[in-house]
Amino acid sequence: MKQISDVELGDKAKSSSPRSGVKKGLSILDFVLRLIAIVGTLASAVAMGTTNETLPFFTRFTRFRAEYDDLPTFTFFVVANAIVSGYLVLSLVLSFFHIVRSNAQNSRVLLIIFDAAMLGLLTAGASASAAIVYLAHNGNTNTNWFAICRQFNSFCERISGSLIGSFVGVGVFLLLILVSGLALSRR
Amino acid sequence: MPATIDVAEPSSSAKGKAVIVAAPHPAKWKKGTAIIDFVLRLGAIASALAAAATMGTSDESLPFFTQFFQFEASYDDMPTFQFFLIGMAFVSGYLVLSLPFSIVAIVRPHAVGIRLFLIIMDTVALTLATSAGAAAAAIVYLAHNGNSSSNWLAICNQFTDFCQKVSGAVVAAFVCVVCIVFLILISAVALRRH
Repeated sequence: MKQISDVELGDKAKSSSPRSGVKKGLSILDFVLRLIAIVGTLASAVAMGTTNETLPFFTRFTRFRAEYDDLPTFTFFVVANAIVSGYLVLSLVLSFFHIVRSNAQNSRVLLIIFDAAMLGLLTAGASASAAIVYLAHNGNTNTNWFAICRQFNSFCERISGSLIGSFVGVGVFLLLILVSGLALSRR
Repeated sequence: MPATIDVAEPSSSAKGKAVIVAAPHPAKWKKGTAIIDFVLRLGAIASALAAAATMGTSDESLPFFTQFFQFEASYDDMPTFQFFLIGMAFVSGYLVLSLPFSIVAIVRPHAVGIRLFLIIMDTVALTLATSAGAAAAAIVYLAHNGNSSSNWLAICNQFTDFCQKVSGAVVAAFVCVVCIVFLILISAVALRRH
């Protein structure tokens, strides 16, 4: 009886180690991707939030100062990136738990759902800001909206650059959902 | 040697019993989620098509004119609205093409590959729809309120019909986004194994 039970246990250990190895690898990849996304979104929020440019001349009627909260879309961008990076820091805990216990299912489903919601929020902030940055670069003749980038050069560069970190975060979230789905579906 | 055979038999028959008892419940429940998935997909198609159609037919011409200004507005005055139209068209095209996959998932509740494929493609569609909707929403917000810091005039005060149609298109796009989020949720829940 002892020999048989030993053989059975040995078989179980052999058959589950390559599968749990793949799941563990996917969980580690998930953790690393989350770290990358934290850096990207935090950098974007900070880069947009610290924009402040004042031109060295002035008249009585026009403002010659540009900040991120002059445009409500950029305020939304900063807030969205801050919320997403806060969520990512908190989800590192759950991600680490998945490395340790690779067979957890319900917590992976929860993580996919929250990741999809945060993906939506981040994409909304990033693309709304991209639309305004495009308008700032090119203006629009049909609506007589003038391209403010011609005057505020460093403000313009800052807001354009901060979009990059946010879109990197979007790509990373896509990969995160893919990795979680793969880890869920492996038997 | 005879001892091993005696011990092995009852365990294999017990295993067979366990499989027969457990199979019907996950299959029925997964079938239910696949049906909800199909219905939600139809809803998402309807709202994505509505968004694209409303944006595409949003031309308006005001009944007066001067030498210097044009008084007509249509979606192709703004590249952002063109992106919105193309993006929502892609999303509705993808959703229509994914209907057969959804039907296969209803017929075969235990197919894992199909659900994994659907969850990944739905995430891409979510990104595209959210991106198009948010970019158009930023422009619509600007058109409603203007911006005093950059001397951007609120054009909605003149072009009211155009503004209403475009705002309606943005709302329809966000309804589609909510539907796709629920689609991803359902696929994630159904991916679990029992």
